[in-house]
Amino acid sequence: MTTAITHRSALLALVLGLGAALAQAAPKVGEPAPAFSAVDSNGRSVKLADFAGRTVVLEWTNHGCPYVQKWYQGGMQALQKASTGKGAVWLTVLSSAPGTQGHVDGPTANSMMKEQGAAPTHYLLDPEGRVGRAYGAQVTPHMYVIAPDGRLAYAGGIDSIASADVSDIAKAEPLARLAIDAVLAGRPVAKAQTRPYGCSVKYAN
Amino acid sequence: MPPITAFFRPLLVTLLSLLPSLAPAAESAPSTTPRATVSLLSASDALAPGQTVELGLHFRFQPGWHIYWMNPGDAGQAPRIEVFAPAGSTVGDLRWPAPERHVDGPITTFVHQGDVLLPFALTLPASLSATTVLSVKASWLVCKDICIPDEGVFRLELPAGAAVPGADAPLFEAARAAAPVRTDWQVSVDATGQLTLRGAGAGALRSADFFPADWGRIEHGAAQTLTVEGDVARIALVPGAEFDAARPLEGVLRATGADGVERALWLSTADQPVTRPPVVTLAAGDEPPPPGAPAQSAQSPAADETGGLWPLLFAFAGGLLLNLMPCVFPVLAIKALSFARAGGSESARVRQLSLAYCAGVVLSFVALAGLLLALRAAGSQAGWGFQFQSPVFVAAMATLLFAIGLNLSGVFDVGGRLASAGSGLAERGGLAGSFFTGVLAVVVATPCTAPFMGGAIAAALTAPAVVTVGIFVALGLGMALPYLLLAFFPALARRMPKPGAWMERFKQALAFPMYGAAAWLVWVLSQQSGADGVLHALVALLLVALAAWLAGSAQRGAPRPCLWRAAAVLTLVIAALAVGRTPAPQPVVAASADGTYSPQRLADLRASGKPVFVNMTAAWCVTCLMNEKVALSTAEVQAAFAARGIVYLKGDWTRADPDITAFLQSHGRDGVPLYVFYPAGGQPVLLPQILTPGVVLAHLEPQP
Repeated sequence: MTTAITHRSALLALVLGLGAALAQAAPKVGEPAPAFSAVDSNGRSVKLADFAGRTVVLEWTNHGCPYVQKWYQGGMQALQKASTGKGAVWLTVLSSAPGTQGHVDGPTANSMMKEQGAAPTHYLLDPEGRVGRAYGAQVTPHMYVIAPDGRLAYAGGIDSIASADVSDIAKAEPLARLAIDAVLAGRPVAKAQTRPYGCSVKYAN
Repeated sequence: MPPITAFFRPLLVTLLSLLPSLAPAAESAPSTTPRATVSLLSASDALAPGQTVELGLHFRFQPGWHIYWMNPGDAGQAPRIEVFAPAGSTVGDLRWPAPERHVDGPITTFVHQGDVLLPFALTLPASLSATTVLSVKASWLVCKDICIPDEGVFRLELPAGAAVPGADAPLFEAARAAAPVRTDWQVSVDATGQLTLRGAGAGALRSADFFPADWGRIEHGAAQTLTVEGDVARIALVPGAEFDAARPLEGVLRATGADGVERALWLSTADQPVTRPPVVTLAAGDEPPPPGAPAQSAQSPAADETGGLWPLLFAFAGGLLLNLMPCVFPVLAIKALSFARAGGSESARVRQLSLAYCAGVVLSFVALAGLLLALRAAGSQAGWGFQFQSPVFVAAMATLLFAIGLNLSGVFDVGGRLASAGSGLAERGGLAGSFFTGVLAVVVATPCTAPFMGGAIAAALTAPAVVTVGIFVALGLGMALPYLLLAFFPALARRMPKPGAWMERFKQALAFPMYGAAAWLVWVLSQQSGADGVLHALVALLLVALAAWLAGSAQRGAPRPCLWRAAAVLTLVIAALAVGRTPAPQPVVAASADGTYSPQRLADLRASGKPVFVNMTAAWCVTCLMNEKVALSTAEVQAAFAARGIVYLKGDWTRADPDITAFLQSHGRDGVPLYVFYPAGGQPVLLPQILTPGVVLAHLEPQP
């Protein structure tokens, strides 16, 4: 009995410890954004360092997630076009592991983007979850903004109302848009760390 | 001898009264998905004016599926509940049960799974009408490997009166007993995130797991270290994105004390309760808006069938063709027999019998229309043939058809004494018999779908009530047309063969389609309720056979016929109980097998540019099974699928499945079969409801 409890506690501590180690790996706003490289949907290698001196937006995605679907009825595409139009680099990141929801290969990602009218600068394939874990991305859509000086300027939700209902977009405070616009204009971000909402990122175990 | 169906009226009434739609009042009709069964419960069977009643949403999840706590953790979303109650009511917020920790790689969420009651209080106004309708609209995110936003509208109708604990009161009692308990410990948190508990028993904690009530106060997935000293317990937490030692920290502590028992405690560093946006809110108005018509129906391929008089014509043609579908054969056999009996009678008699039969058919269709409309108004997703989704109904039909078979085999007679008791009674019995043969014909016809019917019924259910009833009347008239002709052209009736000794053998032969239909229904039941369902049905059939033999013995001069008859009735009651307790549909095996339809799989396949053929079917749908046999599973069609790389997806509507209902509605249909071909990158193509290999192949070709 005692042994059983000890074992369970030990296992729990291990699991929690592991979780903590991964959670603590997440960068803090104001600190340098973790460097990464990944292959995009066209098979090209993309590094964060390629965009030094520019504003970079990271968007975690999974096309099967209802919260992502809420944003791809037009809202996300509009935000992508508005941001890249003002000079930002937009990287959509897919961290779904093979066999989990939302995992697609490059050509499928391209045809999906074409169908949806999505316009990121690159669509990054992260099936091993390396980029996702480096940033502590928990949900889709989880949003990050990296300032031209390479520091993380925003981490959190795409807006302030956690729901899968598209009609809530108009009522919500557009947290990610405000952050992107502030960084592009060289202003500090008023709400730099907010609550992300959505489906869990489907990482490989 | 009057038609045999007259005898079955009491039986039919008994069996119908066992249908689950007439369930006890303190639980709403459930919403069932492959993920969970959800219903609204009341702790009390009556509502006392001015008093508070406890309501609760009861979730029974399939393994692995879960919803989220007030703080969902790293992902997910808590449910929302909107209450529609009489003006002047007030609601209390949800009394959350203690959450469980769900660790999925780097993501930690706080969840509820298994059997969960989410209770909340409703305070009623000082005056109430005799019966009060309470409706609750709820939405919840339910996740396993994937997340699905589900919602449901639940309706309870309760009488006014002194509050009496209902059948579900113990569930509420158990929820109260398991709810997190406030402690009298002094709770504080310091700037490093260390939580300190001071008070009697705090030092005896052996394990502790803290769940913050608000998002981001601590790292949800971080390790928590417990140390104890004297009457003090300290839990080292890792501050999260929203941590602020100056703000109150609240949450649930799952803690094991010296006795080794785990308890849920509510901890707060604040002196005053912290207010949060409520999860349960009172809606404006006392009734939820009726469920809207499917948004896509206007652009669906069936739209051209839904305008003007076309639905009526389609319905009429569909009803006529229904006579040629195999479902109705057993009943038509009975009808043929009754006409053969009347063959020698005068034409006035034949006309009466025909009209009675037509009235039975048409009124049954009208009743079906009313039932469908009522069920839909109550928020459930009923479609053509929906009653066969109820295992109790399937078992009852199997029993009824088996009993008719036994009668045709001559095990027992029906109304034998009535026939000799005088012409008056026999006449009436004959008319009523014809009427109920019509009712039976409609009931057994529903697993079949005739050409033209799909669009017409879908149109009926989204049209105003008058049009709905009109379309169902047209269906009934179409189905009854052959017999109406007999009524108005007596010359046809005179061509019927003359009654004679051949009739007895004909009658006995007709028993076998009945046994066949019963065997088929038991097979349908095996798909719905598994081996236990089959056992229930077979026991019921055995008891019906015993009852038939007892009744037959009484009729054939056994001594003390009253005792035999009483034994027969008793056996029949036990059989009805066995039918009524047929197990509920079994959970669908996790839809991971290749070839099983899910909206997700269809979307994924289409996104990856593959052509897809979707077959929506049900075990009780005879038309579906015929189409699979003669067209879809032929080597010719299979080879064509393989050659074109077409992925074949099958959706099973044997049990209620909202995903499939939604798919049907998005194509302007309300029942199975439905066949849709999605060419790679092209517009979906709807196939007819009656298939041949040629029809399927023609639709796979690129459309002009």
